[in-house]
This record gives sequence, C-alpha cells and structure tokens, in this order.
Amino acid sequence: MEGSTIINVNNVNFYYDAFKALIDIKMDFKKNLVTALIGPSGCGKSTLLRLLNRMNDLIDGTRVEGEILFAGQNIYAPDVDPVEIRKKIGMVFQKPNPFPKSIYNNISYGPKLMWNLAKSDIDELVERSLKQAVLWDEVKDILDRSALTLSGGQQQRLCIARALAMKPDVLLMDEPTSALDPISTAKIEELIDELKKDYTIIIVTHNMQQAARISDETAFFYIGKLIEYNKTEKIFTNPDVKHTEDYITGRFG
Amino acid sequence: MNSISKAQNNSMQWRYFKQKLFFSTVRLSALIIVLTLGGIIFHIVFNGIGVISWDFITQYPTDSMTKGGIMPAIIGTLYLTVGAISVGLPLGIVSAIYLTEYAKQGKIIRIIKVGINCLAGVPSVVFGLFGLGFFVVFLKFGSSILAGSLTLGFLILPTIIGASEEALKSVPQTFREASLALGVSKWQTIFRIVLPNALPGIMTGSILGIGRAAGETAPIMFTAAAFFTSRLPGSIFDEVMALPYHIYVLATAGTNIEQTRPIQFGTVLVLVALVLGVDLIAIIIRSYMRKQKRW
Repeated sequence: MEGSTIINVNNVNFYYDAFKALIDIKMDFKKNLVTALIGPSGCGKSTLLRLLNRMNDLIDGTRVEGEILFAGQNIYAPDVDPVEIRKKIGMVFQKPNPFPKSIYNNISYGPKLMWNLAKSDIDELVERSLKQAVLWDEVKDILDRSALTLSGGQQQRLCIARALAMKPDVLLMDEPTSALDPISTAKIEELIDELKKDYTIIIVTHNMQQAARISDETAFFYIGKLIEYNKTEKIFTNPDVKHTEDYITGRFG
Repeated sequence: MNSISKAQNNSMQWRYFKQKLFFSTVRLSALIIVLTLGGIIFHIVFNGIGVISWDFITQYPTDSMTKGGIMPAIIGTLYLTVGAISVGLPLGIVSAIYLTEYAKQGKIIRIIKVGINCLAGVPSVVFGLFGLGFFVVFLKFGSSILAGSLTLGFLILPTIIGASEEALKSVPQTFREASLALGVSKWQTIFRIVLPNALPGIMTGSILGIGRAAGETAPIMFTAAAFFTSRLPGSIFDEVMALPYHIYVLATAGTNIEQTRPIQFGTVLVLVALVLGVDLIAIIIRSYMRKQKRW
C-alpha cells in the first residue's frame, strides 16, 4: 500500500569508534515513494543509508544504538542475520561496480546462489531484470560479453538490474549518478521514476535539482542530525527551517 | 656572462653530472646481476651439457653412482615438490583468507603476522630438524615422501601466505560490497568473487614456493632423501632420492668425487631446468588468468 511505513528509524545513534556520526535520528520511510537524503558532505546521510541494510557492519569499530524496524522487525536485533536483510533491501553504489564477469553472469550471480533455479528460469529473470533497468535493448545480443566493456551509465543500470534480480522490497541508492554524464543521469532518473511503482527507493544525492526532480519526500541532514523531513515540494518551496532553505538555495554547504 | 648566470650554469652542470653518475650506477648494478646470472647458467650448461642424454634422465645410477642416470632423483624431486605444494598451498590460502577476510585487525593478528615473518626467516636446516623430530620420529612417518613433503610444505608456507594475502587485498573492496549487498553470504562472497580474482596473484606465490621446495637440500636430508635407491617409491611412506640431495652426495660423499664431476654438473643442470620449467608453466597459467580479468 502506497504511503504506509516500510522502514521505521527509531532514536538511532551511530558511532565510528568515539565519533558520533548520527545523533538521535527518528524518521519513517514510506512504501513506494522515492525519498531523497540530502545535506553537505559528512552530514551522515550515506551512513544512515548504509545502516538500513547493515552495510556498516563491514566497518570495524562501529556501533549502533536504537532500532530500525523493517516491516515491523528490528533489523539490529541480535538474532537477525544481516544476509537476510540485504536480500530484502538492495543497494546501488556511487561508483558502478559490476563484477568482472559477463553481463549475464552479473545478473544471475545472486539468484543462482539464493534459489535453486532452472536455466530457463534464470534466463527469464535476467531478461526481466535487464528490461526493468531499461538496459535489455542495448545488451540483449552481447549478454556473454564482460560487463566491464559497458559504458559507465550502462554499468550503473546493470548494477540496478543486478539488485532488482534479487526481488528486493527496498532499493538504496548512494549517489548513483554522481560518476555519470548528464545523459546517463537522465536515464537513471527516468528509471527511478518507473521503479517506484514496485519498489521503495531511498536515494542519497548531492544534486539538489535531482532531489527535487525525482523524490516524493526529502530529508535534510546536517552534522549528524535530521534537520527537516517533509514532502519534497514543501522542502524546496517553503521549508520550515531556515537552515534547510540556506542549504537548498546554495547559501552554505 | 655575469656571475649569477655563471653560478647557475655551474650548478646545472653539476646536477647534470650527478644525474649521469646515478643512471650509470643503476645501469651497472643491473648489468652485474644479469652477468652473474648469465655466468652461473653458462658455467652449469657448459660443464653439464656433456652428460645430458636420454639415458641420463631415464636410467638408474650404476657403478656406485659414478655412471648411469639420475632418473630416481628426478622422480623423487617431482614427488616432493608436488607434495610440498599440496600441503603448503591449501594451508597457505586458507590462512591468508583468515588473516585478510575474517580476523579482526588488531593485536593478535599483528602477533600472528610477526610469527609468519619469523617462520620465513628460520634457516632451512632448522625445518629439517623439526621435520625429523616431529614427522619422522614422533609421528613415526619414517624418512619418507610424506615427512619430506610436510616439512617442505611448512617451509614454503610463509611465502604462500604472504603472496596470497597481497593477492586477496588487491581485490577491490567494491566487489565484496557489491556481493554482500545482494544478500550473498560472506563465505560465498569470498569463494565466488574474492578468491577467483585473487588466483593469479596466489599463483605467483606458488611459483616462488615451487622453486624453493624443489631446490632445498637441508629440509629433506633428514626427512625424505635416500642416498641411493634401486627402485622407485611404492607409497608415500617410502624414501626417495632427490636432485639437490643427490648433488650434495655426489659432490661431498660420493665414492669418487673428481670422477663424477660431470655427473654433478649434469644433475645441477637438470634441477635448474626442472625448476625453470615448472616456473614457466606457472607463469603461463598466471598470464592466461590475468588476461581473463580486466578491472
């Protein structure tokens, strides 16, 4: 159901060793919406994004306080396997990072390990994922070519297709277009708009126009704190907090 | 010309001279190394080529090892080398995976790494004595291929761990993240993504290991090598002849040291050729694997 809460962040503090990177974050992410996280570098928006699928577990010396509920379950409860969380909450990174494998094998890698699928099922899944990521027409004849021969924009759409093949509920995107040219960026933005029908998308971006163009809700962070969180239209036309207005109009940051 | 530009000119000449001097020294050093290597190889080939024949590499020694071939020593060295790699490679790779992928970086890891470095610095005769005490006597393997392989395997372990660690670290972190973010488990990520991409680098470590395992004398002296055998080993609990030990025997303890000089050189030539041959195969495999990866 659109608009119902899918992820609920409850009084979360996050530490890199002694450094407190997130301070008392409280926010709800709504289903089938695109939520943009904005703010200057080092404000904690990427840290928060990586908390949502427990990618920060990979960094030694980090600590989480509070809870993050996904579909009602605290993903930081001791009995939760982060691997299970990451199946449900996919991620696309800042720099396209396809595996040094063929295009086909990039997509089939995850599903093959996850489910016991027949070859025809995998073929179908690869085709569907690539179509969802609007890459199918460009690569359908070269599926066995190395993914590293694709352009940066194609690689990033491949990474999106790879994430979609795992049939996640949520897609996290960490500045997915910052390494891409404007044309590739436009394609990814169109794609995001298309994908929100089926997925919940949370995107970190440094590009104000991008946040305004593609997101339904926007959250503004500053030095580890959530300053303002509201409908994107409201944030960009009539923000409640002066700080937010200063940032989006480029007066600081 | 005024004095300032004269001084500048002098300083330029001085710098130019220093540069020339430096480059000449570098060139000379490289030349010395190449000449030394060339000299050694020439010396071995020149003195050894005379005895090399089909019979030399396929026949048993005869007449108290003053005539005949060195076939059992070649076979023995092959067995020991393959055995050492079978012990050292899996153990080394698994250790490296633990050190780079699983262990929390901290004090204990630093201590383990210091330990591995110390192991690399232990003289090979100490490995031989350890092998004698532990594998031959305590575990009652006797002087055998098994005991020798295990001893050599431990000898090359630090080399393999070091190379594997470097190879694993050189696999981009983004590959690991991409795989883990798909909900693939850590073990599967290591097995499917990290290890295949680290393999060419790990091969480099094995190349160095193979060369060392094939050429060492001291570790096998007490653990595997026989002075003379009239038959090939039937199992891994049998002793074998080995090229390095055979050379040692012929050159120091043979029945007629002067008379067997050509055989000694011939045996050295075979050993060097064998090691270079194995290296070459490994290098070809590695360069083939390198071509597969492009990032």
